[in-house]
Amino acid sequence: MTTISPTIPSSAILGTTNNRSALRTRKDDLRTIPAALTAESIKLTSLRPNKVIAALTPVIGALIAWALASSSTDKNLTASELFIFPLPLIAMLATVTGILMFTAEAQHGTLAAALTARPTRWVIVTAKATIATLVGIVLGATAMIAGFAGALLGGADLGDDGSAIASRALWALLYTALAAVIGLGVGMIVRHSAGAISGLLMWSFVIESLFAPALPDGLVHFLPFSAGYRLLDAGPNFKAPVTIAHELGRPQYALIFGGYALASLAIGTLLLNRRDTN
Amino acid sequence: MITLSGLTKRYGDRTAVDDLSFTVAAGRVTGFVGPNGAGKSTTMRMMVGLTRPDAGEVRYDGVRYTDLQHPAHLVGAVLDARCMHPGRTARNHLRVMAAMSGIPAGRIEQVLAAVGLESAMDQRAGGFSLGMRQRLALAGALLGDPQVLLLDEPSNGLDPDGIRWLRNHLTDFAEQGGTVFVSSHLIGELSLFADDLIVVGAGKLLAAEAVETITTRQAVTVIVETSQPTDLARILAAHDITAETTGDRLVVSGTTKATVSQLAFENGIRIVELTETTQSLEDSLLAMTGASAEFASV
Repeated sequence: MTTISPTIPSSAILGTTNNRSALRTRKDDLRTIPAALTAESIKLTSLRPNKVIAALTPVIGALIAWALASSSTDKNLTASELFIFPLPLIAMLATVTGILMFTAEAQHGTLAAALTARPTRWVIVTAKATIATLVGIVLGATAMIAGFAGALLGGADLGDDGSAIASRALWALLYTALAAVIGLGVGMIVRHSAGAISGLLMWSFVIESLFAPALPDGLVHFLPFSAGYRLLDAGPNFKAPVTIAHELGRPQYALIFGGYALASLAIGTLLLNRRDTN
Repeated sequence: MITLSGLTKRYGDRTAVDDLSFTVAAGRVTGFVGPNGAGKSTTMRMMVGLTRPDAGEVRYDGVRYTDLQHPAHLVGAVLDARCMHPGRTARNHLRVMAAMSGIPAGRIEQVLAAVGLESAMDQRAGGFSLGMRQRLALAGALLGDPQVLLLDEPSNGLDPDGIRWLRNHLTDFAEQGGTVFVSSHLIGELSLFADDLIVVGAGKLLAAEAVETITTRQAVTVIVETSQPTDLARILAAHDITAETTGDRLVVSGTTKATVSQLAFENGIRIVELTETTQSLEDSLLAMTGASAEFASV
């Protein structure tokens, strides 16, 4: 008969304490965040769809920028502007990744295993939100680097100086990071991959793009993806889906888009605490 | 020791678990039985904090599950063997679980070997049979070298060899001082290795006692084949023993083969065949839960 007596000593499995019934404290919760982060990163990197998204990102970034640079007759359209043109699509990929970080777990039942291992739910949410933010940043950075290279290969001039490019890139990274967090929050609320993805795509491409022009400027400022899009202010050649007569500054749009990200995450966390997990 | 006190869960008007109180002793295998919809899975989910009770609580050596510093080191739970991402390999599934509980990665290969999945550790769980998934789920429960195992229908999908392995494993675990709480609808299978039984029906506790106690209470029936069934029935009735005649057969309840044989011999009644049958544990439990079964076949 096979037995399961551990060859690794219990003290190694248990860590610093051998008291299995020890009570948890708030400090213990904080100490478990790195472990939760490691678990979330393994989850992310061990699935094929995420690897596909990571592989597609530089390809999409380079292709879009290259196509625009090589087909444009506008000599003012430089690589320093073109490199962020693929970002709206990349932000959508970041949103989808954020959604799947939660919904895939809810649908396959692995959320139950995570919550059984770590019953303090805010620890799980903190780890997921951190990893989602990193995913958004990595996807955004990869797409921008590839976009820059693609634009130069397409024949575009370098354009602005380094500081302008850096500023543009940082706002763009904030956009993709917050897009991933919004995806996570919506995923936590909806708990269903297809529902959350189609709902967000519908909202972004149909509701905001088609109906927003009919809304007054004051209201359009506060639409989530319109606000997020305006973090990608790359100059006069960059076209936002909805034209607004009196635009706000990028910090204000960052606050609006970030507000949506935080609100969706807060509602998702509240629901995670209230709902039973199957 | 696990203590459940007044555990109650309602879904709208329906009470899934109704004021359930019992204890699960260490060093013993405790079976958790009841018909479909009796509240077994809901109870087990409340035991690990996945479902919030409307009333009552569960404590492990006096501590609530959600208050445990290292839950995986005290309790290993398998509540649904399908709970794994089909695109993740067995090794990665356990890597996630180990990382979440701060367990060294070296333990992964050890538990995979223990459940017999060493050769499949780099295969995706989506290609696993239900039996393999059960083994992987059990490996996950064993990662933290726990003292308590909570298993919901663990033999589902296992082949006969797997069922025997599981039975031996759980018995061995309990003999080493571990606490095993296992739900199953296979009462016959459970009766082979459970020490205690918790019987529930319609969310209520019907019985909580040792298997031995239930067995000794089981009714004995003696079937007598004789050419004088009416005469023998009359003699038995004179000794307050109930008997029912069907042709040449007499079905006698509440006595033993020896008593019937002795009375027949003393009264000169010729017996062709005498058979003693004991009601199985399964029959006893079905009789106990029958009235509370939510979904019963006709």
